[in-house]
Amino acid sequence: MDTWNALLQGFATAGTPVNLLWALLGCTVGTAVGVLPGIGPATAVAMLLPITLQVEPTASMIFFAGIYYGAMYGGSTTSILLNTPGEAGSMVTAMEGNKMARNGRAGAALATAAIGSFVAGTIATVLVTFFAPLVARYAVKLGPPEYFMLMLFAFVAVSSVLGKSTLRGLTALFIGLAMGLVGIDQITAQARYTMGVAELTDGLEVVLVAVGLFAVAEALYAVLYEGRSKETSNRMSKVHMTAAEWRRSWPAWLRATFIGFPFGTIPAGGSEIPTFLSYATEKKLSKHKHEFGSTGAIEGVAGPEAANNAAITATLIPLLTLGIPTSNTTAILLGAFQNYGIQPGPQLFDTNAALVWALIASLYIGNVMLLILNLPLVGLWVKLLRIPKAPLYAGILIFATVGVYGMRQSAFDLLLLYAIGLLGLVMRRFDFPTAPVVVGMILGPLAEAHMRNAMSIGEGRWSVFVDRPVSLVLLVAIVAVLVLPRVLPRLLQRRSR
Amino acid sequence: MRATQTATAAGVVVLGALLAAGAAQIPSEAGYAGVGPNFLPWLVALATLACGALLLWQARSDGGFREMEAPSGAERGHWPGFIWVSAGILANAALITTIGFVLSCTLCFVLAVRGFKSAEGLLDLGAKAWITDAAIGFAIAAPVYWMFTKLLAINLPGLTGSGWL
Repeated sequence: MDTWNALLQGFATAGTPVNLLWALLGCTVGTAVGVLPGIGPATAVAMLLPITLQVEPTASMIFFAGIYYGAMYGGSTTSILLNTPGEAGSMVTAMEGNKMARNGRAGAALATAAIGSFVAGTIATVLVTFFAPLVARYAVKLGPPEYFMLMLFAFVAVSSVLGKSTLRGLTALFIGLAMGLVGIDQITAQARYTMGVAELTDGLEVVLVAVGLFAVAEALYAVLYEGRSKETSNRMSKVHMTAAEWRRSWPAWLRATFIGFPFGTIPAGGSEIPTFLSYATEKKLSKHKHEFGSTGAIEGVAGPEAANNAAITATLIPLLTLGIPTSNTTAILLGAFQNYGIQPGPQLFDTNAALVWALIASLYIGNVMLLILNLPLVGLWVKLLRIPKAPLYAGILIFATVGVYGMRQSAFDLLLLYAIGLLGLVMRRFDFPTAPVVVGMILGPLAEAHMRNAMSIGEGRWSVFVDRPVSLVLLVAIVAVLVLPRVLPRLLQRRSR
Repeated sequence: MRATQTATAAGVVVLGALLAAGAAQIPSEAGYAGVGPNFLPWLVALATLACGALLLWQARSDGGFREMEAPSGAERGHWPGFIWVSAGILANAALITTIGFVLSCTLCFVLAVRGFKSAEGLLDLGAKAWITDAAIGFAIAAPVYWMFTKLLAINLPGLTGSGWL
């Protein structure tokens, strides 16, 4: 029972008073950013990246994981109580949750969301505990060609599956890859796209791009277009579920966990697909179909919310075992690891075993903390929704400055921050997805290094990518992801005629 | 909408062209791999150009960008508010090293609040509003500054060397 011992070791590390405090702080900050509109987990983690300069890796990873997790719990509170959805993953929760809240059942919706998140998060953490080391054991055998293909798969999935338009997704991806090119080439130490600016030789900081793209762009968008949008909020009711509501929630949580988890592990990015799938499943199976879309069905909140958390937890598997991020936040977590000079991948479970297991143990602890933070204390978080928009966004700009300036102490970076904010503004207005930019920028340099190493192995021949079976299979999968969504509907149509 | 979409697509084309110009200056030095440091820059530049060209074609065609989700919020932008917020961010970039983090961020906060208030149609340029907002901005910026400089020992610029302001 290697895993068992390692996990116990992890609990010993994560359970020290200092680390428990970091976990609590992370969960609290996470819930707050989840509740607050205009700031999400990716932005929050990015703004706080400068702490990696001082805080030791285990503590800061526990802290960041708490934020990542906490934001999912907090996000559901906002989407149930406000009539404007916050995070993409809680959009589905908002559909039924809102209906329930309007009919005076806000408390039950909040309860099933929080408990469902806890159940799904905990089951998913158990699955991560047992599957991650297994995946790592197989991943050790992968060489540069396979890694390059995996990263290519992540690129294709994140840019063509997530957004509606593959063209805009790919445009965003190439902008991200271009950002990743700025700086010194890893293999030949050749300067690229630095234009003689000293600050650019070190490359663009992750913090800078993420904070610009999310926080600054969001603030600029809000001031330009959303000044007159009025938000209405629903009345709170007692956080309580009846026995009947428990009976209806349980199966939905469990089904959703097993829908959400696989989607998190493959680099198909985000939790939108599993939450929609879970919603559709619950709607189909429910005995109370008339409640969907009218008075609000509790299964429609329980399922998507659990699927969301299961998927979010599962994204840690590709991140920790392969070093491949599949969402904005995991991309920034990868950046945090890199700040410590740690490259997540199969070796992580050997070289940094203490860190990994403490992180996994802290997920169990964090889930319990979040349940307590979000059920009895939900009233406190609801108060955050009353902060007026003007000081909220202006305050976010202060935190953006801390994050960006704190990282490199350069006023030039603040100018770049504004420029990237403008880019994000245009992207938001014309419905370009942002995740491909961040994933492309962070993963781009790694993918390039793997590709060139693979080419060296193949002595300059591209056939190296098709000669190796695993690499070939991945290549076929990539082509399938690109081609099938276009060809399949047409084929089915033809057959049905 | 059509003009702005065309401008956006043109922006992508220009970006691709700039990337290509930059790629042309990178030596190849391919070595064993057969692909050198200029390979990915060329690939990205050409792909960006291709995406830009397709976007341009979509923008000029009847439907505009395909499968667009209608953007949230107002049809037309509120530019005075945008200018206030931009002024705040840029003033912050210009002044942070001279007047220090706390004062510079307070100024940014005050200017940004003006922008959001004007977007809501509630712009108040009276002295009282300026002072209140400055006090709120200071009350956010100062503790953040202390937390980062004192607790985490992260370097942020101050007006004095004390680490308190």
